[in-house]
Order: sequence, then structure tokens, then C-alpha cells
Amino acid sequence: MTGKSPYFFPALAVVMAAPIFAVDTLTPLDTAIAVLYVAVIMPSAHFLGRRGVLAVSGTCVALTLTSFVIVHQDDWEGSALVRLIVSLSAILITSLLTLRNQQVTSALREQANLLNLTHDAIFVRDLADRITYWNRGAEELYGWSRAEALGQTAASLLRTRFPDTPARIHAALLADSQWAGELTHFKRDGAQVTVLSRWSLQRDKSGRPIAVMETNNDITERKRSEVMLQKAQTELAHAARVATMGELTASIAHEVNQPLAAVVTNGEACLRWLGRDVPDLGEARASVERMISNGRRASNVVSRLRALARRDDPDHVALNLNDVVEDALALVEREADSHHVAVQIDLQLALPAVSGDRVQLQQVVINLMMNAIQAMAGVSGRARRLAVATRQEGAAGGAGCVTVEVRDTGIGVDAQGAEHLFTAFYSTKKEGLGMGLSICRSIIEAHGGRIAFAANPDHGMKFTVKLPALKEPAP
Amino acid sequence: MSEVPMIAIVDDDESVRVATSSLVRSFGFKTTVFASAEDFLASPTMPRTACLVTDVQMPTMSGIELFEALRARGVALPVIFITSFPEERVKRRAQEAGAAGFLAKPFDADTMMGCVFEALKGQPLPR
Repeated sequence: MTGKSPYFFPALAVVMAAPIFAVDTLTPLDTAIAVLYVAVIMPSAHFLGRRGVLAVSGTCVALTLTSFVIVHQDDWEGSALVRLIVSLSAILITSLLTLRNQQVTSALREQANLLNLTHDAIFVRDLADRITYWNRGAEELYGWSRAEALGQTAASLLRTRFPDTPARIHAALLADSQWAGELTHFKRDGAQVTVLSRWSLQRDKSGRPIAVMETNNDITERKRSEVMLQKAQTELAHAARVATMGELTASIAHEVNQPLAAVVTNGEACLRWLGRDVPDLGEARASVERMISNGRRASNVVSRLRALARRDDPDHVALNLNDVVEDALALVEREADSHHVAVQIDLQLALPAVSGDRVQLQQVVINLMMNAIQAMAGVSGRARRLAVATRQEGAAGGAGCVTVEVRDTGIGVDAQGAEHLFTAFYSTKKEGLGMGLSICRSIIEAHGGRIAFAANPDHGMKFTVKLPALKEPAP
Repeated sequence: MSEVPMIAIVDDDESVRVATSSLVRSFGFKTTVFASAEDFLASPTMPRTACLVTDVQMPTMSGIELFEALRARGVALPVIFITSFPEERVKRRAQEAGAAGFLAKPFDADTMMGCVFEALKGQPLPR
């Protein structure tokens, strides 16, 4: 069991037992010298198995009896007999205790070995954060051997980065006797690992915390692919936005050209007012004021576009969905006009806020509106109406959710189309890429919401986006 | 009744409508402004209008449709078109129908007023 020489304990036993036997046999002391054999039996458990311990005890009993027989051959003196019984009792009791202790120890060791079988890195640290147990999984994950790790301060050995302040985590651990979270650690070779860490607090009989068992599961790869997936989704959403902007180019050009045309005409009018025989300063001033507000309007369209073309990572803030709908409408309104679509907006006042990325949510609303407009392009003989509404649902008790509903009076989709509506690369439009709705869905799902559609009882489709509401009112 | 000819301006975009009106007024004309072709057709001032300046693309009735509606009613009002989408096809259609002008936004004030004065030739002009 230990790495020491197999001859070490027999030699030690002989070196210890021989003087006891010599003193017991040769000196006429009236004491139970043989009691000292327990000093041979006790360490035997460290080196020998159950049988070995039994053999050692047996030998000690035999030596004791031998000495007794040699010394007290003829006179079975009463007190000597008592001393013999005391010695033998001591040897037997010690043997039994040693055997039991050995059994408990080996059970513990087996359990510790079980911990070595798992691939999770498991270690135990005391309340001063010193490592007292370090399993094989920990050796493999971190590259520190058990001998190197024991006694070290866990947080400095692993250069732990906590998701919260250590003090707050410790408080949670004390309160619940457990804690779980993501930690960043560094291996011996300097490589960074992300682990899902579960801590359990060990307490003594009186309930005082004494140690923490930490089970760490390496999720570095999973994290990395999550991050990459998120990045790919962000890029895809951006590409789809740019594609949508492409579809809107004519409308957007008009949105910018209109105020610019007004600036030019106001400027020319202003010059005329000033150039009259009696300059009309009032009219000239009014013209300049209009130029300023026209210029602002053009600039607003441009900044809205620039926001939409941005390629930033999603940035979740508290938003009012009414603002999102109005921003989207500003970009799509002209497109609706040119398709002879009447837009009807019904925004609920005092809407609760939602947490989301303004640009991505705007993209979803624009996409749904554009789809609706395009679905009505071939419609004649009934009103082409695009209705957009926001409202709060399930307000009682919890914060509920906020919905945006986009309804059209278009051609709708057949059953087969409905089945594939959210599938990537499926499109009912000739020039459609088929990415729009599938991206809308991934955006909404990434916001913890849902997107659904239904056929209207009369004509066209209704798309509903549902997002969890925040407790606070919308900004 | 004033001697000064009245020019009607039809554009669904308020900023263009107001700016165009200001320009035309700065030349001494009177103006009336309308946000849609339908509003103009329904207006009581329509018969007194000397010249019409209209946008082409509007949500319901387009400028060209307005022009055709006027002709169908036998109204021989001179019409000048202004548009953000100066497509050749539309321009030809307008000119063939007898438009007094077809200008891309932003238009040049002198060109635009040239069209107005040309259309009103023979009528009393403002001084």
C-alpha cells in the first residue's frame, strides 16, 4: 500500500518487539511489560492487511505467553497471572481497534478512489482555501499533481476569476450550504479553462463549516462554440439587415431626398425673398427655419440607417417597444405608400419595458412589416391594410409580456408554406433569400421571447412577437 | 377677385409642399396647397387655379392620375410635375399627355419658375 520496501515493517517489528521480549523474559520487573507490544501492533495497520495485523497480534500473544512460561515455569504467582491477563487484554483490544480502524480507513480510501474515477475535477479546501484533497480529475484538468496541489491556496494556484465578488459568493455558500456558477481557471501551463463549478459546504457535527468540496466540469469547448454560434448569428442578422436595407433603397433614398429637396427650394425661396425690392425678412427667416428642420429630418433618416447598418454585438437595454415600432415605421412607411398600403398603428400607452437590442428588434419589426407589404402587392379588390399593434399581456401578479402584432390583408400562405415559414432558405418570394423569418425567430428567441403566426379569419396573416416584460415601466 | 394668378401645389410631403409654396409666392403669385390629389379635386378653389404643380408619387392617387382626371373632366389646367423618381417612362407619359414641365427633386428654382411663366403666357403676371 505504501511505496516503501516490503522489508521495512518486518524489520521495524523485530527491532521493536525484540527488546520488549528481552526485558519481559530476562528482567524480574513486576510490571506488565508485554503491554508495550501494542506499539508493534498499532503501526502494523499502516503496512499490512487484515491478516498481517492478525499475524502480528498472534505473534505478540505468543511472545507474551512464551516469556511468562520461561519466567514463571514453576511458581504461578497470582499477581504475575494478573499482569499476564492485563497484557493479553491490552494486546487483544489494541488488535481489535486496529483492525476496525483499518476497515474504516480502507472504506474511506475506496470512496476516495471512486472520486478518482470521475472525469470531473474534484478537490476539497478548508475555510482558509487550502487544498486538502485533490482527485485525479483535478490533476488531469489543471496539470498540478496531488502532491503539488495539497496545502496550496486554491484561488491563487488556479488564479480563479469569480463571476461575483468572493465575499458575496462566500455568503451565498454559507446561507445555502452550496453554490454553483461558472469560473475561469488557469492550468499549470497557463491555458485558460472555463468550468461549471459546484460547491458543497461540509460541516462538522455542531454545524460549523469546515471545508468546501468543489466539483468542476470543464465547459471551455462548449463555451467557445456558444460564443462562436452567437457571433455567427450576429453576423447573419447583420447581413439580413443590410439585405433589407437593399430592398428599401428606393424608399430610403426618397426619405432623404425629400427633405433635401425642401432645403434647396427653401434656400432659393429665401434668396428671392431677400432679393425683392423691399426684402421680406419675415418670409426669409421662415424659409431658413424650415431649412434647418428639413436638414434635421434628413439627418435623422441617415442616423436611423446608420444604426441599422451597425455591426455591433447585441447590446441589451431596457426598451419601449412602441419606440422600436415607430423607428421601424419611419423606414418602412414610404414603402407602404408606394405599394398603396394603408398603415394603421395602435400602440398601447404606458407599456412595460422589455430588455433587448434596439437594432435587432427593429430589424424584426421591419422584416414583418416588409413581408406584410409584399404579401399584399398582388392584392386587388380589397383594402391593403397593414396593422401594427403593441400591448401588454398577463399583467396580473408577474410582469407578464409585451406583444407586437403585425397584421396584413395579403395572400397568406398555404398549409405547406406555413410548415416551412421559419425554415432557413425557404421563401415564397421569387427574389427572397428565405432568411428573414428564420433570423427573426432566432433574434426573438435569443431575447427569451416567442414569435408565432396565424391566418386571419378573412384575409392575410397575423404575426405575433411576445417578449418578457421587465418590472419597470418603459423608458 | 385678385388679378394675381393662383398656383396650386399638391405634394404628400409637407416640407416640399411648404417650400415650393414659399418659392412660388416669392415670385409674387398666390398659392393653395394640398396634401393629396383627391383634396385638390374636391377643392372649391380648383376652378380658379391658373397652374398646378404636383408630385408624381403619392400614396393613393398619383400626379399622373390627377392630370388624367383633370383632362377627363375637360379642365385644361397647365400641370408641372416634380418627382423624386424621374423615370424616363413616366416622364414620356407626362410629356405626351401635355405636361407643362417635368422636374426632378430637388428642382432648380429658375427652371421651375420658367415652366410656370411659360404656362401662364398671355395671362396677367404679378409685378
